[in-house]
Amino acid sequence: MGLVRRNAEPEPQTMGPGDLLAQLDDPDPDRRREAALGLEAESAVEVLLDRVATEDEPRVRDAMLTTLAAHDTDAVAAGLAVHLASDDAGLRTGVAEALASMPESVPAIIPRLLEDPDHDVRVMAAMVLADLQHPEATTWLTVMIKDDPHPNVVASAIDALLPSLGPEHTELLERAVRRFPDDPFLRFTVEAALR
Amino acid sequence: MTSATAGTGLTGADFEKFRDYFYKRTGIQFSESKRYFVDKRIDNCIRASGYDSFAGWFGALRLGDKPALLQELINQLTVNETYFLREDYQFDALLNAVLPEVLKNRSRIPGPIKILSLPCSTGEEPYSIALRLLEEWPHIDTVDVEIHGADIDSEVLARARHASYGERSLQRVPKPWVAKYFNLVGAGRYQLDESIRGAVTLHQINVCDTATMRNFRDFDVVFCRNVLIYFDELSSRRAAENLYGSMRPGAYLFLGHSESMSRISPIFTPTRLPEGIVYQRPTGAK
Repeated sequence: MGLVRRNAEPEPQTMGPGDLLAQLDDPDPDRRREAALGLEAESAVEVLLDRVATEDEPRVRDAMLTTLAAHDTDAVAAGLAVHLASDDAGLRTGVAEALASMPESVPAIIPRLLEDPDHDVRVMAAMVLADLQHPEATTWLTVMIKDDPHPNVVASAIDALLPSLGPEHTELLERAVRRFPDDPFLRFTVEAALR
Repeated sequence: MTSATAGTGLTGADFEKFRDYFYKRTGIQFSESKRYFVDKRIDNCIRASGYDSFAGWFGALRLGDKPALLQELINQLTVNETYFLREDYQFDALLNAVLPEVLKNRSRIPGPIKILSLPCSTGEEPYSIALRLLEEWPHIDTVDVEIHGADIDSEVLARARHASYGERSLQRVPKPWVAKYFNLVGAGRYQLDESIRGAVTLHQINVCDTATMRNFRDFDVVFCRNVLIYFDELSSRRAAENLYGSMRPGAYLFLGHSESMSRISPIFTPTRLPEGIVYQRPTGAK
C-alpha cells in the first residue's frame, strides 16, 4: 500500500463518427454526453441541432451545445436561436450561453432577435449580448434600452450593460424610467445601476 | 493595423493570423496586450528553427509536417512558474475533507485512489501532493494511491521527470522533508528521490483535446489550477467537459483561487469546505 505507479499509458480509445452517432442513443447519459462532446466534425452538426431540444439530460445537452458552439457558423447560430423561445428554461439559458460564445456568426442574427415579437426572446437576446465579444454589443444594448417597448426587455438590457455603464449612460437610463413610470422593478434596476 | 514590432518583424495582421492558429490548436488565446510576450517567444522559435522570416516559419508550422515546430511554440508560450506546496490550503482540504469522503465511498469501488494534477508543469504540484500524503495522511499505508501529472508542454514534462529544483522552488517545504526526500545534486539544487519521482506518472496532454482526454478516466480528485483563466469561454467549456469526463461520479475538482467554475459551466456542483470551494461531479443523473 502507499503510492503506486501506473506504468502503462491509458489504452487509446479510437472512436469514429459512426460509433459516436450510435452512442447518442445510448440509455446511459454519460455515454451520450461523451458522444456529443466527441462529435466535433461538421457532418454531425445537423444531428446535434436536431437533438439538442429533445435531449432531456442537462449534462448531455450542455455537451451538445459546447460542440455546436465551436462551429460558430450561420447554420448553427440560426439552428440554436430558435430555442431562445423555448419553454424549457434550462434549454434557452444554455442556448443563450452558447450563442454568446459565437462571435463570428451571431452578430448577423442579432437585428432579427431584437425585432422578435416575443418579448421573452428579446430578453434572451440581451443575455446573449451581455457576453458576446463584439464591438457592436454595447450599441445594440443601448438601442434596446432606448426603444424596446417591453419593460422586462429594457431591464434585461440594462443588466447586460452594467459592466460597461458609465456617466454617459445616465440620461439613457433615466429616460427608460420615464418611459415606464409604473414599473417598480425597472426603477429599482436603474437606481441600482446608477448607484 | 499593420504595425511591426522589433525582432520578429511581425505585423498586426501576422499577429492576428498567428493568434487564430494557436487558439485553434491549443484553446489558448492571447490578447493584443500580450503582444510583447508573444512576439518575443515567436522570435525565439523562428531563430531556433533556422527560418529567417515569420512567413517561412509560420508556413511550415501550418503545413504540420514538422510537429517539433508546434511543440517548441507551445513550450515557449505556456506559463510554467510554480513552486512546492503552492496554495497549500487546498492540499489541507484534500487531506482533511476530500480524501475521507473518497475513502467512505470507496468500499464499492475497486482499485487505487486516483489523483490527477493538470497542468503539472515541472512537477511541483503532483510531487507536493505525494509529499503531503506520505507525511500527513494516516491512511497512506493501507490504501493505494495513484498520482498522475499532465501538461501540454513536453519540455516541462522532461524537467518534471528529472525533478531537480532550486531553493526558491523548495522554500515552503519543511527542512526535514527536504532532508528526507531530496538529494543535493549541485549548488542549491535538489533532486527528488526516485521513490517519489517513480511513483508519479506523467503524461503529455491538451486538456481541450477531447479525443485524448477521453483516455483519462475514473479520477477521484483532479487539480486543475490557474489554467482555465488563460482560455476563452468556449475553450474553458470544452476543458470543463473533458475534466468532467475524466472524473468518477462524486469526484472532486480543485481550481485556482481566482477561478470559478460557475462562470464556465453548470455541470459541476460547488461544495463549500472550510478551506474553500471545491467542485464535484454529480453522482446522479439530472
